[in-house]
Amino acid sequence: MRKIWLDAYPEGVPAEINACAYASIKEMLEQSCLRFRDKIAFSNMGATITYGELDRLSCDIGAYLQARGLRKGDRVAIILPNLLQYPVALFGALRAGMVVVNVNPLYTASELEHQLVDSGATAIIVLENFAYTAERALAKIRVRHVVITQVGDLFPPLRRWLTNLVVKHVRRLVPRWTIAGAVGFREAVAQGRRSKLEDRELRADDVAFLQYTGGTTGRPKGAILTHGNMIANIEQTAAWMGGVLTEGAETVITALPLYHIFALTANLFVFLKLGGSNVLVTNPRDIPRFVTELKLTRFTAITGVNTLFNALLDAAGFARVPAANRGALKVAVAGGMAVQRTVAERWQQLMGVPLIEGYGLTEASPIVCVNPLNALHFSGKIGLPVPSTEVAILSEQGNEVDLGEVGEICVRGPQVMRGYWNAPAETAKAFTADGWLRTGDMGWMDSHGYIEFAERRKDVIVVSGFKAYPTEIEDAVMLHPGVKDAGAVGVPDPRSGEAVVLFVVKKDPALSAEAVLAHCKQHLTGYKLPRRIEFRDRLPKTPIGKILRRELKADATRSYG
Amino acid sequence: MAEYPAHLVRKHRVYDGRTVTIRPVRPDDEVLEREFLNELAGESRYLRFQKWVHAPSDKLIHFLTDIDYDRHLALVCTVPQGDHEELVGEARYVADADGRNCEFGIMIADAWHKSGIAGLLMEALIGAAQARGLATMEGQVLTRNSAMLRFARGLGFEIQPIPEDPATTRIVKRL
Repeated sequence: MRKIWLDAYPEGVPAEINACAYASIKEMLEQSCLRFRDKIAFSNMGATITYGELDRLSCDIGAYLQARGLRKGDRVAIILPNLLQYPVALFGALRAGMVVVNVNPLYTASELEHQLVDSGATAIIVLENFAYTAERALAKIRVRHVVITQVGDLFPPLRRWLTNLVVKHVRRLVPRWTIAGAVGFREAVAQGRRSKLEDRELRADDVAFLQYTGGTTGRPKGAILTHGNMIANIEQTAAWMGGVLTEGAETVITALPLYHIFALTANLFVFLKLGGSNVLVTNPRDIPRFVTELKLTRFTAITGVNTLFNALLDAAGFARVPAANRGALKVAVAGGMAVQRTVAERWQQLMGVPLIEGYGLTEASPIVCVNPLNALHFSGKIGLPVPSTEVAILSEQGNEVDLGEVGEICVRGPQVMRGYWNAPAETAKAFTADGWLRTGDMGWMDSHGYIEFAERRKDVIVVSGFKAYPTEIEDAVMLHPGVKDAGAVGVPDPRSGEAVVLFVVKKDPALSAEAVLAHCKQHLTGYKLPRRIEFRDRLPKTPIGKILRRELKADATRSYG
Repeated sequence: MAEYPAHLVRKHRVYDGRTVTIRPVRPDDEVLEREFLNELAGESRYLRFQKWVHAPSDKLIHFLTDIDYDRHLALVCTVPQGDHEELVGEARYVADADGRNCEFGIMIADAWHKSGIAGLLMEALIGAAQARGLATMEGQVLTRNSAMLRFARGLGFEIQPIPEDPATTRIVKRL
């Protein structure tokens, strides 16, 4: 196929990247640690670690895992928010040859249990605040090694002691837990230091991540991402930004969670390759504190989702950030969900740089398209395919449609996953016979190669960039004995893009909305929770018994607005 | 209650040499129908009901098996299994009150996809609808269910997008 988008590439962006620039993430990291030894790699709440410290600490964690008997390819689940321990645990496991399973720490015990069972993780590294959930999930499964970390574990001694004390006893953020045989993070580092990290050769086709993503029916499935997939996407993204960013001189604000593939690749990996510094924001919902941090940091890049940029623009004091930044900011990238034009325009007016929208999905490590960094204005499109990537718009029959016509956005390239873990049928469905990854997103391409979204045709609800599947929500709600029937739909929401509205038909006449919500909280993560619960005598159905989601949606939109 | 339309019973031989029976459903098929639905993959059930059906309720089974053979006609496809039958597919229509249009739905056991029984069921269902004097048959299909859309196109259905709901597609056939 002819890559018509190449003509629209900004100067300096190559058509192809070297997908084998490094044999593995381990090799890339080791090179950066050597080259940028004394530079700050990560900072968090004012504490920092340099590339040299990252090298040493991740060696220790890797050696600890190896000494516990974990072999190459064994799965290690990391259940951490954005803290200094995250990159240490991540590189520790990867350099030791293990496969990382990123877990959303806000998962409930049953969601966590599914992910641990499905991935077959034999070790977990978890923040103490979430140990209580892990304990309940671990009751039913066998995870052999548990490392528990406290928020301040990598802070300097006095602050460590103080932070851990405040988190536990003053702010009471740590529910009581007991996990037999659990080892503290600092103890694991100390033990690891006493043994030696055995060098295990890693190649491009070795698996680096099982990265979980939602499914239309039931439970999330793990996308198998190899070292080669990740290196390719890091190179593609770095090539896209190459003309704008300088090695060893960049500071990126990392407010999106690193357990999500977007920040993992776009912030952590790309900026590590460039010898940049990641400012880890642990709780971006604490907007006043986040704004203060932005005023104190001369950041040169920031990534986020529409919801986050919108919240920042609305925040008191954010208007003073540009003055504090003194023109340092070069790049602002938004992904995960559609960017609203008003948000993009307000951002550009205030910050002086456009909000660059990109598009990707877990199955493509994740970046597929990005708008050119030299764009003068918000385009409203999801961008051009990145180097060494093919994008085709295919019809239902699998033929390419004409330019301007709507079809399914399909992707081929070195960043595309190998398949889903333990799910050959799902894997088969995800690809066409010609090896195109079917994204499930509908869109069209213009004559310059820019891609724009049509309506999403999957019945998925996108809440602040996270995908919530109606079926998963309905399945969880139906477990309540007082519920006869349930239907979940998404409605437009100014803050989060979409919000979940749940319709319930009662079996038990005494059932209350509070009881349904409390039940949901046991089974579903925050973003999947209904923003509103409505009771109905019956759900709208066709004569043959199919649910009429569009009627539910219209009903929900009326009552929600 | 209308009489059991015994004239719709047919036997066919399918690709692997097995004989299948296509016949109108009977009220005493409740157990077979329940087994059939329970065995279906969650995804298949989802595609049919377009929502999550955890375990089929008694009410649903009753709706599916106790029909009037007039406004509501359901054909099942069965194979002999030891000394009883196993239900491996079903197709049905429910006509509008004015008796002009009907909506249809079809489900095939996961092991019987691509066996040809879907075509046999639809052929019989369309024939019965024509004989009853219905003018059009329509269905509501999830847009991502490309296999069903392809199948419907092959049967002469017209594909009509629903502008206010891109996740579902209407398919219509003039009888």
